[in-house]
Amino acid sequence: MALPQSLRTSVTPLELELIASEQLVEIVPLITMEKTAFISGAYGPLRPPAKCRIPLWMATNLKLKKKCHIVPPEWLSVDFLQERLTRETSRPEFSKLPFRFAEIAKVILDVASDDVQNADKIKSLLKDLREARQAKSRDGLQKLDHSELSLPNLCSMEINEIRPFFIQSMGILTQLVREPSAE
Amino acid sequence: MVFLPPPHLASASRPAYAEAYANILVAHRRSPLTSASSVIILVAPDVDALCAAKILAELLKQDDVMHRIIPVSGLADLERMKDELVTYAELHTLILLNMGAILDLSSENWFGQFSMKLTVHIIDSNRPQNLANMFAGGENGERFVVWDDGEAENMGEERKAWEALTYEPEPDSDEDSELDDQDEVQSNEDDDPDDGEEFSERGPSGKRRSLGDGDRSQEKRRKLDDSTRLSREQRDAYHELIAKYYGSGSWYGQSASATMYILATVLERVDCDFLWLAILGLTFQYTTARISRDTYDKYHSIYYDEVFRLNPLPPDVAANTTDAITAMSPDDLSVRAAEELRFMLFRHWTLYDAMYHSSYVAGKLGIWKERGRKRLTGLLAKMGFSIPQTQQPYAHMDLDLKHQLRAKLDSIAPEYGLVELTYPSFARCFGYRASPLSAADAVEAVGALLDVAGGIRMEVEVEGARHGGEWFGGGRLWEGGRNGEEKREKRIEVGSRQKDGDDDVDTDVNGEERKERTWWVKNFWAAYDALSDIVPLRDALSLAMSLHRAIIRQGTSIIDKQDIRTMRSHRVVVLSKGPDLALFAHPGVLARLGLWLVDALRDRLPGTKIGGLKGRGKKSLPFVVACLNERTQTYVVVGIMGALDFGDVRRNEFGLAFIEAKQRCNARSRHSTFDASVLEIEQEDLKLFLETLCEVGEGY
Repeated sequence: MALPQSLRTSVTPLELELIASEQLVEIVPLITMEKTAFISGAYGPLRPPAKCRIPLWMATNLKLKKKCHIVPPEWLSVDFLQERLTRETSRPEFSKLPFRFAEIAKVILDVASDDVQNADKIKSLLKDLREARQAKSRDGLQKLDHSELSLPNLCSMEINEIRPFFIQSMGILTQLVREPSAE
Repeated sequence: MVFLPPPHLASASRPAYAEAYANILVAHRRSPLTSASSVIILVAPDVDALCAAKILAELLKQDDVMHRIIPVSGLADLERMKDELVTYAELHTLILLNMGAILDLSSENWFGQFSMKLTVHIIDSNRPQNLANMFAGGENGERFVVWDDGEAENMGEERKAWEALTYEPEPDSDEDSELDDQDEVQSNEDDDPDDGEEFSERGPSGKRRSLGDGDRSQEKRRKLDDSTRLSREQRDAYHELIAKYYGSGSWYGQSASATMYILATVLERVDCDFLWLAILGLTFQYTTARISRDTYDKYHSIYYDEVFRLNPLPPDVAANTTDAITAMSPDDLSVRAAEELRFMLFRHWTLYDAMYHSSYVAGKLGIWKERGRKRLTGLLAKMGFSIPQTQQPYAHMDLDLKHQLRAKLDSIAPEYGLVELTYPSFARCFGYRASPLSAADAVEAVGALLDVAGGIRMEVEVEGARHGGEWFGGGRLWEGGRNGEEKREKRIEVGSRQKDGDDDVDTDVNGEERKERTWWVKNFWAAYDALSDIVPLRDALSLAMSLHRAIIRQGTSIIDKQDIRTMRSHRVVVLSKGPDLALFAHPGVLARLGLWLVDALRDRLPGTKIGGLKGRGKKSLPFVVACLNERTQTYVVVGIMGALDFGDVRRNEFGLAFIEAKQRCNARSRHSTFDASVLEIEQEDLKLFLETLCEVGEGY
């Protein structure tokens, strides 16, 4: 399919959000529902007030209709993020974070900010984390060479950000490396 | 037609709102032809109906019910809509908001012809309601459901009277009806004895008789003496009771948005948005003098409790004026209780302007004279506000002055006769996106959008442009509803109409009518969107301010020129020239002008006794305001019944008076809105109509 030029190089953040919405989250349902079959699998039954694990897209839909409360995952808390942030700022390598934390955090904070404790603090912590990691990935790009780029613990949105750049530059670097050997 | 009692009066045998709503859902889920046209909501063009529509739409959306919202401007529009709706095969629920209570909806003219699976829900704050809507039962009757607010419990007498008059045959036809009944009783013996009171038009005399009742009443009549039959006196008494109910003028009951809010409460799905919309509906009713202060207080206390239930505040935050309210977080969308001053939109222009434009202050101080304006400045000076301070936009006033404003007003204003300047109300925070907005301001903004968002050229002041600001023009055209090209087209239309002959007038009129309808519909949707989005709502505030300025300008000029003619029973103002004539050709704006005049002249004019049907007359200030609509060469006439005390309301008897006067003098006129007290009349007939109105008034 012919995409416009700007979209051919990488995935858009909205698409990443869609992919991330497939992940399961825990909810406290407010309605009852039998085990229902969806395209991606069968989920349910929903029996309030017992918790249940359903995909994020379904949780969002129910939440917008006020039919459930979303339980934020354990990494979406002030303590966890604070600890990671200090680790991030003190060490040169990336700290380990859930692979799609940025998308899931955004969706949950948009839809269910009342279910998350200290939503403001978490938003500011996430922002700090992003800035710290962005600085590191910029430095890391300087070490780009033709054969490998190793940036462990990078998360999906960040990979997506640098992918267009480093694919092109790796290509050019490979060419440059080949030329001297041809001489 | 049945009426639904409100949930607190409901029981197992009397279904209430929740059951009606559940029936809508069930019908939607079970019908095979579900489409977006299966549930249609017809909305009248006022703020209350708009809020109710929004709440209902949100509830339906949460339940995944597809629906359509259609704005309807008046009876003619409703008829047109009805003709269109007949063709929709998949329609199974029709909801009317703030319209239709007075119409006999089961008659052939309206919805009597529709298929049996259609249910019509009527949620209307206008009173009186058609008693047939409320009390008629039977299979045909079950289709029309009136959502009542508890008032129907007090209408036991009217119910008895109506049932007696409708179900018992009239005495002069008793002879032949007895014979007919005897014939038909044989065939009716096998009828369903569970007294489904079927309305049937069979019967040679054509009188509506209940044939299911035929059994019972026939038996009654067999054993009857004259004592059990409906006597002439009783019949007359019943007639009089019903005539009194219909003839005492129009008033308003519980707002439609309050009804919707109660529904949401019963379904346990309330949140801040619904509460805010319900508050807006209530505030609208109060600020347009539809309900009295007591009724307002009653509903206010309910909402007050709701606010604290839904938005628990930390105990150290004790803000009771809107100025002291600040959003606590960027997502803070909570509603808080606050005291509201009676000045119009005072937080958005200078303090001096706000007091100048407030009808209450204007009346007490006599703003239209230079002396009155001096008194206003004097009042402000006594309160400790210097002149530069009062000329500052409110937002730039000193903070301590703002906090002291209320206290100072309480202490000093009574000297000038200004009492009761505050009333309890609410305000809503919008996070960090905008400063908190009070309910009264929001109602003004939405009302302004409904009336004049498009179709009229309105100049709006740019803040900071006074006293030689950056742009010396000081104003810009309001851009809302894409009115630019329509305005141009309208001018061309008017010009060509004058040149062409009569045969072209019809098409032009139709084209203009269509344009009128479309700009009005656009206004509706602009206002609907503004209810959920704070940015257009804030912009609409400047529109509301310029609307007010126009009203004040016109009102002061009327009073200055002493344009008010006093008839024996009411006062008349006729506007036929002036800069804002096109603006006042809208009934909504004209009604506001009328209300302003009533407020301003409340103390200066003696009240007139409007006798009721029995000469019980309470004193009130009846006003008739007429404005020329140059484009259509008609006059828009609005009748307002002001009360003598501030915060009180009177039933508006002009609806009936207009109808009677219209019939007596055969004026060419039509009612263009749902309100019977708003009339559009041909230019030539106005004088005759006003004279007839005086006669009608004297006949009281």
